[in-house]
Amino acid sequence: MFNYNIKLALKSMRRNPIMTALMVAAIAVGIGISMTTLTVHYMMSGNPIPEKSDTLFAITLDSWNPLRPFNDDRPERGPHQVTFHDAERLIALGKAKRQTAMFESSLIIEPVNEDELPFEAGARVTNADFFSMFNVPFIYGSSWDKSADSAAEPVVVLTRELNERFYGGEDSVGERLTMQGIQFQIVGVIDNWEPTPRFYDPINGGFQDINEMFIPFTLTRALELGSNGSDWGWKSEETTTFEQWLNSESVWVQYWIELDSGSVNDRDDYVTHLNAYVGEQKKLGRFERPLNNRIFNVMEWMEYHEVVANDAKVLLGLSFLFLLVCLLSTIALLLTKFIGKTNEISLRRALGASRKVIFNQQIAEVAVIGTTGGLIGLALAGLGLQGIEYLYDAPAGLVRLDWIMMFAAIGMAITSSVIAGIYPAWRVCQIPPAAQLKTQ
Amino acid sequence: MGFGPMMSSLLRNKTGPLLVALQIAVTLAIVINSLFIIMQRVEKMNRPTGIDVDNVIVTYVRGFGEDFDVVSSITNDIDLIKSISGVVAATVSNHVPLSGSGSGTGLRAVADETITPIGVGRFRWSEEGLDAMGIELSRGRNFYPQEVNYILPTSENGTPPSVLITQDLAESLFGEEDALGKPVYWGDMEASTVVGIIGHMHGSWVTWDKLTNVVIQPGKPAYTTNKYIIRVEPGMRDELLPVIEQKLGESNRQRVIKRVSTLEDLAARSYQQDRGTAIILSIVISLLIGLTVLVIVGLSSFHVTQRTKQIGTRRALGARRIDIIKQFMLENWLVTTAGALLGALLTFALAYWLEVSFELPRLDWRFLPAGIVTLWVMSSLAAFEPARRAASVPPAVATRSV
Repeated sequence: MFNYNIKLALKSMRRNPIMTALMVAAIAVGIGISMTTLTVHYMMSGNPIPEKSDTLFAITLDSWNPLRPFNDDRPERGPHQVTFHDAERLIALGKAKRQTAMFESSLIIEPVNEDELPFEAGARVTNADFFSMFNVPFIYGSSWDKSADSAAEPVVVLTRELNERFYGGEDSVGERLTMQGIQFQIVGVIDNWEPTPRFYDPINGGFQDINEMFIPFTLTRALELGSNGSDWGWKSEETTTFEQWLNSESVWVQYWIELDSGSVNDRDDYVTHLNAYVGEQKKLGRFERPLNNRIFNVMEWMEYHEVVANDAKVLLGLSFLFLLVCLLSTIALLLTKFIGKTNEISLRRALGASRKVIFNQQIAEVAVIGTTGGLIGLALAGLGLQGIEYLYDAPAGLVRLDWIMMFAAIGMAITSSVIAGIYPAWRVCQIPPAAQLKTQ
Repeated sequence: MGFGPMMSSLLRNKTGPLLVALQIAVTLAIVINSLFIIMQRVEKMNRPTGIDVDNVIVTYVRGFGEDFDVVSSITNDIDLIKSISGVVAATVSNHVPLSGSGSGTGLRAVADETITPIGVGRFRWSEEGLDAMGIELSRGRNFYPQEVNYILPTSENGTPPSVLITQDLAESLFGEEDALGKPVYWGDMEASTVVGIIGHMHGSWVTWDKLTNVVIQPGKPAYTTNKYIIRVEPGMRDELLPVIEQKLGESNRQRVIKRVSTLEDLAARSYQQDRGTAIILSIVISLLIGLTVLVIVGLSSFHVTQRTKQIGTRRALGARRIDIIKQFMLENWLVTTAGALLGALLTFALAYWLEVSFELPRLDWRFLPAGIVTLWVMSSLAAFEPARRAASVPPAVATRSV
């Protein structure tokens, strides 16, 4: 019966090729456009580290100007980064299960051979906990030891890409790289790691290429590392020496912690520790604003930074309205087409076909149209996503259709076309047997 | 005559026309709101910048090594760049306008810490900065060469005695009063004197609402990364860009040339989101209009075929070709207009949702009548060919069995 229905469907589709083509096209562009925007939205709003997103937290401390809040429009918010010296002291206190402070910098890698050019590489300046907290995968070696953090040893973890460039992808652990005149020892190479969005640093762009290497936070002093990311300041302070800059009230370090669980209890406990620390600092005349220390888990932090651009939401909304138009077209076209088949249906009904059989046959036709439209729509969505990567200069492969999205697309195409087909099919079933034949 | 046969055929099959009207309504709502967003973005991207964007090249370099001397490196680089024929002016700057990377601070007209300062973008460049950006000074004077010193990270903060500010900033600070010669106060309550007013210029962050509030301090920033702004003779930019890159690369091996690009490219990157949205919406509405037109053509043709006998009968009873065309066009017009009326409501509903949920600007109502008129024209064009075909049905058809 199924095969027979499909055969009839194909026959009927061939009889009205223009109408059929229009319906397939309507479903294809509808699915193509809505899947493109849906994929972009899905990628932007996805959970980049689902296994830990409830136990990782970014922290904010309100060390801002006593006269006015950090953000006039959102006065309840403290600055979203912390000062260097607060980060240093919080790490030393170590009240969480794991903690990491970090910022983005860059170093010049000096050439090994005379004919090579020096090369500037981005570096995330952080500590050993970074890798275990964020589940960073390694191909060679591992993170540096905590002792390297405390001794400020010049060690470096490379990305796969940088390791390919300098060592042709070979195990480079133990090799040395000269940067800023200092020999760094390579302790590990990480595998491709592209959490999307880049949740640990939404402040400097949520969807950019990953940094190229990692070095210990404690080297900041020795190497006088500056931040390539943003810094905010409110206090007029003398900062002519690097030490003065590190001790200033400028906020430019991002601070993350990992707790045993995301329970209210554990969260409150940690905030209590933060408040105790700030209380100590208040005695020294800092933190003059009311106590306002907060922690945000991964998804809360994404929300805080509005990682999903408003434009992406607007486009998503509009493209689903577009899909609605495509469905309305399909219903109108189907209705018209089925009415054109009145004679045939009357005849089949007169020859004994039940309403159910007629109904199923119409739905089969719609499903064939929907599947064809869905497949073409999927190809269009693939094209659309490439267009998006080009338009936004995104790293290749950043937005792509995964299996979930492909099944969703086909499912959506079939479901929506079948829904579109129900009313026309029902109408057709109301045609009385042979009634139509009489008028001839 | 006219309405009789048309209404009866419309009413006999209500669902079809209703669906088309609904489709037209949603199409109208999407098209008008999208067009409005597109216009907003295009307007935003085309705002006058006050800068000679087309003829400016920007270079980022960074030195390294023990014996690297940043001051002599910058001095030699700027001399080298200016020796290239076709270069009009060049300066080292702390930041590049329109690039998305910048420095911001707050200024006040009076030395009172309790007053909320006015947000401004801050640049620091030499006496050639204005010329290197092609920015016009509307009043006052530019910096004197003796006011311009190298600023190292270790330099004393040293408040500059003179600054240039934009007209918009002057008005935010002093209102109607003339800002020229007046002091402006920094966060530390030190003062600088306004010596010149720039008619108009954009700062670093194109999405910032205070984009046109700019203050310029005299100085040659000698930080880790040195940014050179270079203006060339009109039309020579693309030819000179590789020359500058090559000459800088050869002159000093203790420097990495991080990037040489046109200011046009940097600005385009800053507007990437706006441009992307405008392009995507343009594609969406083109497809949408194309689809709706095709559906109208398809359905009208089908109806003509279905009603061949009715048309033949009317012709046999004395209806002229023009009457048949009129009937089909009027039928189409009625459906379109019903769709347009519903569409007007939907358009405002959608506009309201966009405004409230996404802080988009309020829809300009004039887009609606323009949209409806366009809709009438397009749907009439779409329906004309099928109507003409209907009119060519010979009266003799009535006598035949279909």
